[in-house]
Amino acid sequence: MRRPLRWSIALAAGLLVLAALIGLPFWWVVSGAFKAPQEIIARVPTFFPQSFTLEHFEKLLSASDYLTYLVNSVFVSVLSALVTLVLAIPASYAFFRLTFRGRETLYRIILLAYAFPSIVVLIPLFATFARLGLVDTRLALVLVNVAFALPFAIWMLRSFFASIPREIEEAARLDGGAPLTVLLRIMIPLTAPGIAAVAIFAFVTSWTEYVFASVMILSDAKRTIPVGFSGIIGQYQVDWGLLLAGASLAILPVVLLFALIGRWFVTGLTEGAVK
Amino acid sequence: MAVTQLQQVSKAFGPVKVIEPLDLTVERSEFLVVVGPSGCGKSTLLRMIAGLEEATSGTILIDGEDVTRKEPSERGVAMVFQTYALYPHMTVRDNMAFGLEMAGVKKPEREVLVGKAAATLQLEALLDRKPKQLSGGQRQRVAIGRAIVRDPKVFLFDEPLSNLDAELRAQMRLEIAKLHRELGVTMIYVTHDQVEAMTLATRIVVLRDGRIEQIGPPSELYANPDNTFVAGFIGSPRMNLLEGRIIGKDPTGRKALIDVPSLQLSGVPVPLRNPGADVQGAVTFGIRPEDLILADDPAKADFTMTCEIVEDLGSSVFLYNTTSRENAVVAELPRATNPGHGERVPYRIAPDAGFVFGTDGKRL
Repeated sequence: MRRPLRWSIALAAGLLVLAALIGLPFWWVVSGAFKAPQEIIARVPTFFPQSFTLEHFEKLLSASDYLTYLVNSVFVSVLSALVTLVLAIPASYAFFRLTFRGRETLYRIILLAYAFPSIVVLIPLFATFARLGLVDTRLALVLVNVAFALPFAIWMLRSFFASIPREIEEAARLDGGAPLTVLLRIMIPLTAPGIAAVAIFAFVTSWTEYVFASVMILSDAKRTIPVGFSGIIGQYQVDWGLLLAGASLAILPVVLLFALIGRWFVTGLTEGAVK
Repeated sequence: MAVTQLQQVSKAFGPVKVIEPLDLTVERSEFLVVVGPSGCGKSTLLRMIAGLEEATSGTILIDGEDVTRKEPSERGVAMVFQTYALYPHMTVRDNMAFGLEMAGVKKPEREVLVGKAAATLQLEALLDRKPKQLSGGQRQRVAIGRAIVRDPKVFLFDEPLSNLDAELRAQMRLEIAKLHRELGVTMIYVTHDQVEAMTLATRIVVLRDGRIEQIGPPSELYANPDNTFVAGFIGSPRMNLLEGRIIGKDPTGRKALIDVPSLQLSGVPVPLRNPGADVQGAVTFGIRPEDLILADDPAKADFTMTCEIVEDLGSSVFLYNTTSRENAVVAELPRATNPGHGERVPYRIAPDAGFVFGTDGKRL
């Protein structure tokens, strides 16, 4: 069916607005990072950079601990994502496959983790971590990040498991696959898009987590980007060039992650299995 | 291969009884088809034999061994699903080899066994493809191949052809029949399609509401149904079932004389299964479409009906005749005959044809 022209125009306009809404801030940050300081704070902002400089990046990497923060952030976020997956996959499979008393209740209760603003649990958690000797360790951040990513990850993965036709699992059982084998060889490959989505979700929440990172970490050498970076910007004055350069670099790992894992986001992975 | 026995096996999902306690023995190399309308419990029965569903009570024996509480993989059964249930991320080869791998068969041997099964099913050229690159018929063959390689004692088929189009279905039906002859294994096949049941089975089990209505070879079920349900279910188009009344017996005492008011028939002699029985009163008169014969001479006709709808199948013609609002009586006539709509057609009833059923549906 052919679309009338005015519909095409309206659709294109709508798409353009959406793309601008999402894309413009990024453009502003990334292009600004390469502008000369005067141009950034010019009274009339420039859309296309009139100048080009790497001085902000140079300053960021040489005169600050930005690289240390970056490494810390990568460490914490990757570990958080991995631990989340290692726990969420078997947990969600169990919630999906096993029938046990109180399953649905437990399944809902885990969402209580999101009932409290993080600031509410911050103090008790700090006290607990202090006794465990976990304050000022990156492990503490991993634990907190996993705790907050896990419930949602379990919910998401369970629905992915539920979308796999029951017969495939039954066929594997008839083929003699033990539950763990079925999970590893059949279910995980088939839920790859869901697992990738959960991994990205866990990574990004860890990557941008600020509140816990600002309180649990005391020494500068263990800070993650959101906290460390806010220290770079300066307490009394804002170095815009530095800020934009730092923000640009902070986006980079997330973009890389999407590029690497994005190929798993293919629809119709179970195509050809049934029917 | 194996004798499969079900002893007083029943299944209930909570308060809902799906299978009443039933006994069933499947002989070696038999092709047993379980047939019945949707929701009659036939798939549940199959899944209990497979071990995918636990029997609420009773014992399931395969080759004399009690497998009631055993895991599906320990029962020596293989199943072909209606939806094929192939592993979509694996090649055809890996799909077929997975079960062998789980059974601890070494890779070189796996290759040989998969190769052999692939040759049987003409899948050699497709071994490196993924399921999504296959047509429906090819997928079904892979699903069958996956069952064959494991050399099971019993093959289970759960409506394997119902996702295929008519032409492919007929072709796969022949392939399955051929396979059964070549492999000589026990097959238990569930379907709601009575044509599949008639063409494939060595014996048919007719199931209704979790109860076995009748077991027997296809020809037996067709020629000698136990009750109105089996009579109506087996055969296409279905047997005409009409209200009647017994008015007596013929001189031999082997046939009942029946009045069928809707056909304006009086005193039709119909063979009794149980000549000795004392039969009288209201009954159901059953007559198969092919037993209604076109009378060449209208004067010798037993009755006439008005032709309502003509279905010309080429090889034969089905005439749907309306006797009353709710009953359409079907007659199967040779292809040459082609009466028009509204025409009065004279019929005779074939000698020794027809069935009598009691008011409870049981054959008399």
